[in-house]
Amino acid sequence: MLQFALRRIAIALCVAFTVAVFSFFLLHLSGDLAVSIAGPESSAEQVEMIRVEYGLDKPITTQFVEWLWKAMHFDFGRSFYFQDQVTTLIGGRLGVTMTLGGLALGFALLIAIPLGVIAAIKRDTWVDRVALTISVFGQAMPSFWFGLTLVLIFAVNLRWLPASGTGTWKHFIMPVIALGTYAMPAIMRLTRNGMLDVLASDYIRTARAKGLHPATVMFKHALRNAVIPVVGLAAVQLGFMLGGSIVIETVFSLHGLGHLAWEAISRNDYPVVQAVVLLLSVVYIFVTLVADLLNAALDPRMRAN
Amino acid sequence: MSETTTDALTEALPKVSPVARMARRALGHHGFMIGATVLGLIVLMAIFAPLIAPHDPYAQDVSRRLIPPVWDAKGSWEHVFGTDKLGRDYLSRLIYGARISLLIGALAALISGVIGTALGVAAGYFGGKVDAAISYLITTRLSMPVVLVALAVAALVGGSLKIVILVLGFLLWDRFAVVTRVATQQIRHAEYISAARCIGCSVWRIVLSEILPNILNALIVVATLEMAHAILLEATLSFLGLGVPPPEPSWGLMIAEGKSYMFFKPWVIVIPGIALLVLVLAINLLGDGVRDVTAPENRN
Amino acid sequence: MLKSVLLGTALALCLAPGAAMAGKANDTLVYVSDSDLENISPYHNNMREGVILMHHVWDGLVSRDVKTGKYVPLLATSWKWIDPTTLEFALRKDVKFHNGDAFTADDVVFTVNYVLTPEAKVVAKQNVMWMSGAEKVDDYTVRIKLKEPFPAAMEYLAAAVPMYPKAYFEKVGIEGFAKAPIGTGPYKIVSATSGQGVKMVKYDGYMKNSPKGTPKIGKLEFKVIPDGESRVAELMTGGVDWIWRLPSDQADSLRSVPDVSVLSSETMRVAFLVFEMQGDDPAMKPLKDERVRKAISMSIDRKAMVDNLVRGGSRVMNAACFVEQTGCVQDTVVKYSYDPAKAKALLKEAGYPNGFDTEMYAYRERDYAEAMIGYLKAVGINAKLNFLKYPAMRNELHAGRAAITMNTWGSYSVNDASAFTGNFFKGSGDDRSRDPEVKAWLTEADSTVDEAKRMELYGKALKRISEKAYVLPLFSYSANYAFTKDLSFTAYPDELPRFYAASWK
Repeated sequence: MLQFALRRIAIALCVAFTVAVFSFFLLHLSGDLAVSIAGPESSAEQVEMIRVEYGLDKPITTQFVEWLWKAMHFDFGRSFYFQDQVTTLIGGRLGVTMTLGGLALGFALLIAIPLGVIAAIKRDTWVDRVALTISVFGQAMPSFWFGLTLVLIFAVNLRWLPASGTGTWKHFIMPVIALGTYAMPAIMRLTRNGMLDVLASDYIRTARAKGLHPATVMFKHALRNAVIPVVGLAAVQLGFMLGGSIVIETVFSLHGLGHLAWEAISRNDYPVVQAVVLLLSVVYIFVTLVADLLNAALDPRMRAN
Repeated sequence: MSETTTDALTEALPKVSPVARMARRALGHHGFMIGATVLGLIVLMAIFAPLIAPHDPYAQDVSRRLIPPVWDAKGSWEHVFGTDKLGRDYLSRLIYGARISLLIGALAALISGVIGTALGVAAGYFGGKVDAAISYLITTRLSMPVVLVALAVAALVGGSLKIVILVLGFLLWDRFAVVTRVATQQIRHAEYISAARCIGCSVWRIVLSEILPNILNALIVVATLEMAHAILLEATLSFLGLGVPPPEPSWGLMIAEGKSYMFFKPWVIVIPGIALLVLVLAINLLGDGVRDVTAPENRN
Repeated sequence: MLKSVLLGTALALCLAPGAAMAGKANDTLVYVSDSDLENISPYHNNMREGVILMHHVWDGLVSRDVKTGKYVPLLATSWKWIDPTTLEFALRKDVKFHNGDAFTADDVVFTVNYVLTPEAKVVAKQNVMWMSGAEKVDDYTVRIKLKEPFPAAMEYLAAAVPMYPKAYFEKVGIEGFAKAPIGTGPYKIVSATSGQGVKMVKYDGYMKNSPKGTPKIGKLEFKVIPDGESRVAELMTGGVDWIWRLPSDQADSLRSVPDVSVLSSETMRVAFLVFEMQGDDPAMKPLKDERVRKAISMSIDRKAMVDNLVRGGSRVMNAACFVEQTGCVQDTVVKYSYDPAKAKALLKEAGYPNGFDTEMYAYRERDYAEAMIGYLKAVGINAKLNFLKYPAMRNELHAGRAAITMNTWGSYSVNDASAFTGNFFKGSGDDRSRDPEVKAWLTEADSTVDEAKRMELYGKALKRISEKAYVLPLFSYSANYAFTKDLSFTAYPDELPRFYAASWK
C-alpha cells in the first residue's frame, strides 16, 4: 500500500509540474508581458524598466523557476486589469466555485446512485428505461442551454428562484441542478453496471442462498461493492465540473472562479487565466489522487495496477 | 470479448454470416434505429442545405427582425421558424448550422481519434516505459479543464472554425487513448498476434491489419461519444463568444445571440437548443446502439 | 489560502442570506451595469460606470445645471478669469471629506498638480491636460493655470475634474485609494471589491445647498452583472432596482411588465467605426486606401440600424461628434448614404473586386457589430468579430492591431465638441488617422475664444475627417433605463444617472 501511495503521489507531482509548464507558456504566449504590465500608455523606457524589474530579461528557464517558486507560494503576480494580486482575486472567488462544485456533485450522487441501484434491481422494466432515458437526455443537453431554460421557467415565469448572483442558498439551486445534471448520467450508468455485475456474482448468490434478508444482501453486500468504482468516477466528475463551472457561472452570473477566468480571457488578463487553469488542474490532480488512494484502501485489487 | 469465442460462435452457426446477424440485431435495436435515422436526416439536411433552405442564411434585413415562428399568431409560412435579431431566416440558419456542428464534430473526432488511437495502441502494444509515458500524458491531459483551456487558446489565436476544430481535436483524444490502450492490451498476447510477430511482420503491419480491425468496434463507440462531445463543446465555446465567429449560423452562437430576447421571445433559444439536443441525442443513441449490436455480451 | 477558501465557502453559504436586499423596504437602491471598473479612481478609468461613481462620491469645483446649461457653484462659491489663462476660485469653507478632513485650497492644488504628472497615468488625458497647474492664494482661494486659452475650461471642470483629499491620498497612494476611496460627494463608499461592485451610504455630512441637493436614498449599491439577460431577470424578480443599456427590444417588452418603469431617451454617446491607418501591418493595408474607407461608409445602412435596431430617439451621425455639442458643425461634412453598388464599385477601383478579409473589434452591443459585419459581407468584406472588454479592446486599438473598431464615446457628458475630437484626432492612442492638419486646426480651435473663428476651425477639421473617412460616425445612442416602479428617477441626455436626486415613491 505504501509503495502504491508513494508511486501515485510521485506521478501526481509530475503531472502538476507539466501543467505548471503549460500554464507558464500560456502566460508567455499572450504577448510581451513587460508591455502588458506597463500598460498601453507607457514609454519604451518604462517598459524596459519593468522588464528588468520583473526579471523578464532573464533566460526563460530562469524565469520559469522563479515563477514556479512564486506559484508554489500562491503568488501569481498582479492582474493586468484590476488593482489587485491574482491570489486575492482568486481567494475571493474560490469559495463560490467550491460550494457550487461540491453541492453539484452531492446533488448528482444523491440522484444518480439511487437511480442506478433501482434501475439495476428492476432491470429491463419501465423504471430501468426511465432511468436510462434520463441519463441519455442528461448527456445530450447543452448545460448552458439547460441553465437558461431553468432561468426562463423558475426565475422569470414562476418567480420561485432568483435568476443570478450568490446572495442566498436559493441562488445556488438552479446552478447546482444545471451543473449536477451534467455529471449525473455517467455516475448513474456506472452504478447501474456495477450493481448488475455484483448482483450476478457468486457471493451475492451465496448470500441469497444462505437465506439472508434481500435488503441486507442489497445494501450490506451488493451496494458497498458496486459503489467503490463510483468514488473514482465522482472525483473525476468533480474535476470536470470545476472546469465546466465556467459555463454555469456565466449563465447564472455567479462570481466564481470560472466566471473570473472567462472575464479575464475577454480582458486579456492572462496572469489570472493561467492561475485559474493551474489551480483547477491541481485541484483535479489532488482530488483524483485522494480518490485513488481511497480506492486502494477499500479494494486491494486496485493497488496492482 | 475474446476473439476465439466469437470465432467459435461463428463456426457453430455457419448459415448466418456475422454481418447479417449484426444487421438483424441492429434492426431490432430501437435506440440504434432512432439514432441512425435522425442522424441520417440531419446529415442529408446539412449536405443539401442550399436546396432545402428557403432563404439565404446570411441575408439580413433589419426591418424584418424577430418575426415569430409559424405557430405563433403573428407568424407566417414565409419564415417557418421566424427571423433572428438581424432579420435572417431562422430555419435557413438552423439548416446551415447543421453543417457547422457536423463538420466540427466529425473532424474533431477524427483528429482526436488519430491522436488518441496512436497513443493508446502504442501504450497497449509496447507496454512498459512507453505505456507509462503515455499513461502519464493521458493523466496530464485529463487534469486540464477542457473548456477553460479551449477558451484561453481560442482567445489567444482568435476564434474561427478551423481553430475550434483543431483545439477540440487536440483536446479530446483522452478517451480514445484510454479505450484503445485497454483494448490493445487485451489482444496483445492473442495467438494470431504472436503468430504475426513470429513470421516477421513489421509493427506497422501488425497494428494496421491485426490490432486496429479488432478494436474497431470500441473505436466507433468512442468516436460517436467524442463527436457528440465536440459538438456540445463547440456550442459552448460559441455561446461564450470564443468559438465560431458571427455571422456563421452555429447553433451555439444562435443561442448566444438569442439570449437577449429569451424572456419575451423564448423560441429564439428553444429552437436551436432543441436542434442541438436532438443531434447529440441521435449520435449518443447510435453510439450506444453500435456497442450493443457489435458486442451484445457487454450489454447491460 | 486554505483559510480564505474555507472562509469564502462559509460566507457563500451562511452569512450571505443576511446580505442587504434591494428595494424600497431596505432603503437600498441597487443599480446595475455591465462593466467592471479597472480602477475606481475617476481619473484612472474612462468608463461610464466610473463617471457615475465620480459624480456620486466626489465633487468638482463647479457643476453644470442640466436644465439651463449654466455653471453653478459646487465646491467653489465663485470664480473669475484673472487673465485668459488664469481662473481664480473662492472655495466653500464648510466642506469635509468623508473621513472628516476639511476641504481646502491645498486639496485643489494637490489634485490638479497630481493628475498632471506623468506618474499619475491619468487615463483620459484630454480631461486635464489643458491645465498647466494650480496654485494656492490662501486657504480658501485657488488659481488654476491654463496652458493656453481654453474656452471649454468650465465645462471640463464641471464634468471631469473631481477633487481628491491631499492628506489621505498621500498617505495611502493610488493603490490604497483605489481600494478605499474618499471624496466630498453625496455618497461615501463603504466597500469596493473588484468584480463584485461598490457599496455606498448616504454621506450625512454632505454640504448644504449643493446643486446636487441632499441625497434621499439611504444606501446605494453598484453591482456588475455582465450578462444582459441576467440583468433583466434580476430586475423582473426584484433582485435589483435599476438597470440600463437595454436593447430597444427588451425595453419594449419590459414596458408590459407591471412593477417596472421604462424610460428611453437619446444620449450624447455616439458610436463610430475607427479605421486603423498607422503602421505597416499588411492586414491594415486596405484601410489606408481612402476609397476602401468610403466604400465601407457606404455599405452600412445606418438609417436602417437606427430605425430598427437602436431606436428610442437615436439619430444617424455624420460629423465626428455629438450633433448638439458646441462646435459640432454639421453643414459642411460629407454625408455617406447607403449605396452598396457604389461601395462595390469603389472596392473594385481600389483593387479589391472580391473584397478582403479583415477584423472588427467591439466591446458593447454585439448586435450592432454583427449587423455591420452582415452589411460588410454583402459587399464582399469578411470581417471577423473580436468582442472584448473595453480596456482590452482599447489596448488592441492603441497598439494598432485592430483593423476596424466599433468605438463609442460619451464625451464625459461634456457638451463641447472638443471633448470628442480632442480624444480622437489630436494624436492620442485613440487617434488612428493622425492627420497633422486636423490636429493643428483642432488645437487652434480648442484655445480660440472667438466663437465664430472657433466654429470655422471645427468645421474645417470635421469636414476633412468626413472627406477622408478617417472614422465613420454611426449614430447617437438611445439610453433605455428600466427600474422598479417604487423609484422616482429622471434621466438626462448626458447619460449620467443622478441617484443622489432620486427618491422612493
